[in-house]
Amino acid sequence: MTYRCPSCGQPFDAADGFCETCGSPLAPAAVSPGADAGVLECPVCSADDSAAPAGVSAEGYCESCGRKVPTVRDHVELDIGVAAGVTDRGLRHSRNEDAMALACTVGPSGPAAVAVVCDGVSSAPRADEASLVAVRAAVRVLLAAVRSGDDPAAASVTAALAGGRALADLAGPAGAPAATYASAVVDEAAVTVCWLGDSRVYWLAADGSDSRFLTTDDSLAEELVASRLASVEEAMASPQAHVITRWLGADMPDPEPHVARFEPAGPGVVLVCSDGLWNYRPEPADLAAMALPAAQADPLAAAVTLVKFAVDAGGADNITAVLAPFPPVWPESLSRR
Amino acid sequence: MPSLPGFTVDIDQNPYLPVGGRDVSAVVTVTADASGDMPSPGPGGPAGGSEGSAEIIIVDCSGSMDHPTSKIREARAATAAAVDVLTDGTWFAVVAGTTEAWAVYPTDGTMAVADDVTRAEAKRVLREMQANGGTAIGQWLRGAYQIFQSCPATLRHAILLTDGKNQHESPEELAAAIGLCEGVFRCDCRGVGTDWEVKEMRKISTALLGTVDIVPDPAGLAADFEEMTRGAMSKQLPDVLLRVWTPQQVTVRFVKQVAPAIDDLTGRRVTSGAQAGDYPTGAWAPGESRDYHVGVQVNAASIGAEMLAARVSLVASSADGQQVLGQGLIKATWTEDEALSTRISPGVAHYTGQAELAAVIQEGLEARQQGDEATATSKLGRAVALAHQAGNEDTARLLAKVVDVVDEATGTVRLKKKVEAADEMALDTRSTKTVRVKKG
Repeated sequence: MTYRCPSCGQPFDAADGFCETCGSPLAPAAVSPGADAGVLECPVCSADDSAAPAGVSAEGYCESCGRKVPTVRDHVELDIGVAAGVTDRGLRHSRNEDAMALACTVGPSGPAAVAVVCDGVSSAPRADEASLVAVRAAVRVLLAAVRSGDDPAAASVTAALAGGRALADLAGPAGAPAATYASAVVDEAAVTVCWLGDSRVYWLAADGSDSRFLTTDDSLAEELVASRLASVEEAMASPQAHVITRWLGADMPDPEPHVARFEPAGPGVVLVCSDGLWNYRPEPADLAAMALPAAQADPLAAAVTLVKFAVDAGGADNITAVLAPFPPVWPESLSRR
Repeated sequence: MPSLPGFTVDIDQNPYLPVGGRDVSAVVTVTADASGDMPSPGPGGPAGGSEGSAEIIIVDCSGSMDHPTSKIREARAATAAAVDVLTDGTWFAVVAGTTEAWAVYPTDGTMAVADDVTRAEAKRVLREMQANGGTAIGQWLRGAYQIFQSCPATLRHAILLTDGKNQHESPEELAAAIGLCEGVFRCDCRGVGTDWEVKEMRKISTALLGTVDIVPDPAGLAADFEEMTRGAMSKQLPDVLLRVWTPQQVTVRFVKQVAPAIDDLTGRRVTSGAQAGDYPTGAWAPGESRDYHVGVQVNAASIGAEMLAARVSLVASSADGQQVLGQGLIKATWTEDEALSTRISPGVAHYTGQAELAAVIQEGLEARQQGDEATATSKLGRAVALAHQAGNEDTARLLAKVVDVVDEATGTVRLKKKVEAADEMALDTRSTKTVRVKKG
């Protein structure tokens, strides 16, 4: 099989790290940008052409009208062909503390997609930075491992711990930052997932028959259900439903990330998401009905649909949805560039 | 410009507004750092070259100060006590006030630099101070203004003592003199006996960023003068401004100092730049802490929107320029969650009560003087309940001299048939003194 370089469109040999033609690295990773990305300007004041452009204060407020200036991070769409994702601030939170990283590569066994989603814990300091440094560090480790053909399960745990170390470096006098973690490696044989906390990975089957959870939340609600102390409905209605029991953070030096491998029986899509999405539609079959069939051909369009649904449903939390079709298909669209 | 001490600015507010909500208010606690490169107290001070502080003591020498003679005698002793606690190197002068202002020391209408020699000279000269003449307080202020011009000190403070009303000039003349002195020096006002007018003195002390109080017994003057002078000597940072920046379309509803005493600064705004105004706070001592209540009105925005409603900063102003010494942010966020938007911050609730307390005391006393016993009883009863709630023990004690308290929790009171004038005046002058929020 021939793969084309996502940058120049020329064919390349999967064993190489770089395109023979243009020299681009063959494993482009797309990470949702941080607060420092891009020049900010107030959308309200800049809409008025007659006024002089207003500055933005160090704290992120417009120097003219005082509004919190939206950052690039408030709404991010990433599309790398084999996977696509959308993250959004939602309606109630003043900033987006979710982060995502996507990557594609071609390993010894063929093309693979890698996705990592972290949800910064708001009650801990620097939640927005925490999620970002964690996904950045984790995707780097996962990508290198998949490219060199390492065991995806072992690599997933290593990547999660790398994310945890990066996040722990942010700890200071204000306390230890923390985040949830969910990753998926989608290759031609299987889906390998790894997680901590209540960000989830779902399998959405194309034929609608076998959609399922690939993760189990580390949350009090889940523990209540598992110990048969409450029904799912009762547990989710309790005030502590979203209290997580494991996370990435300096205060949890050995979090023991969960890892699982799933071999789909047929085509479908892997969904990696934060609780801002699944709070409004937790059932795999319901999510599949919303995302499919669009997600197979155009994962970005489907991710946009999912996130828009959650915003319209109330947008109480930050929302992130990443979709990666199985089996992974090296996108034709990239080769036309 | 030397590096000035910083200020810590803490904001106590509930930033959450309901749908359509527009009013944002916050209690801003401003604390000067306890240490720092404070300017030296005078030309002889350790840092050298600093312009230092200056003190003028203005003593009422109208004829009534001789009735009883203990008034003028104690006033002389109190002035001597104040001179004794002046820090070496402080510029100082003593002025006698009648229908004119007389330079008692130094006699040429300039200021002396405090040391053992000048302090002894001053005390010798002020023994000659006689009570003989009328009362034109505006003239005293103008005299002090002139004398302050003779020295380079930037920390300028005066003590003004009177025993009577401003009889020999019009209220307009006094107001003009106050206007002249505003921003030039600070002034603490004291009335001895009960023949002076609280309102008149409060006009001076408010404009000149000082205090007003009654000293019913002349024997209490010396201790009071000494304390005021020590207080003035502790102030080392002159002319600090409270700057409130607001976004466009946001209006400042009020800016009040609420601790240690209530002082409405709203009308004293001086525009500084397109979206900012400065409010005077006078001079600060290291470690000193005050609370301000700031209210602004914003335009309502959509649920989830967040905005900066105001930025409050402390600015040191001098001939060399301005320097921001600390700042805090007042924010607004709209939410549908009523549990969030209906919460009132403890500081805002507390000082709203303290402001009402000062108002009902002043209104109650006014009603009582006009013979409106029903209004007086209800206002002073409310004051008793508020003072009890907030733990203003000093105010509660003063109230109990004016009304018989039946139930302090509900504010059930009866007006006393006979009230000492001094007690009523003490309650009036001290009505604006506040207590801070109880911790914990």
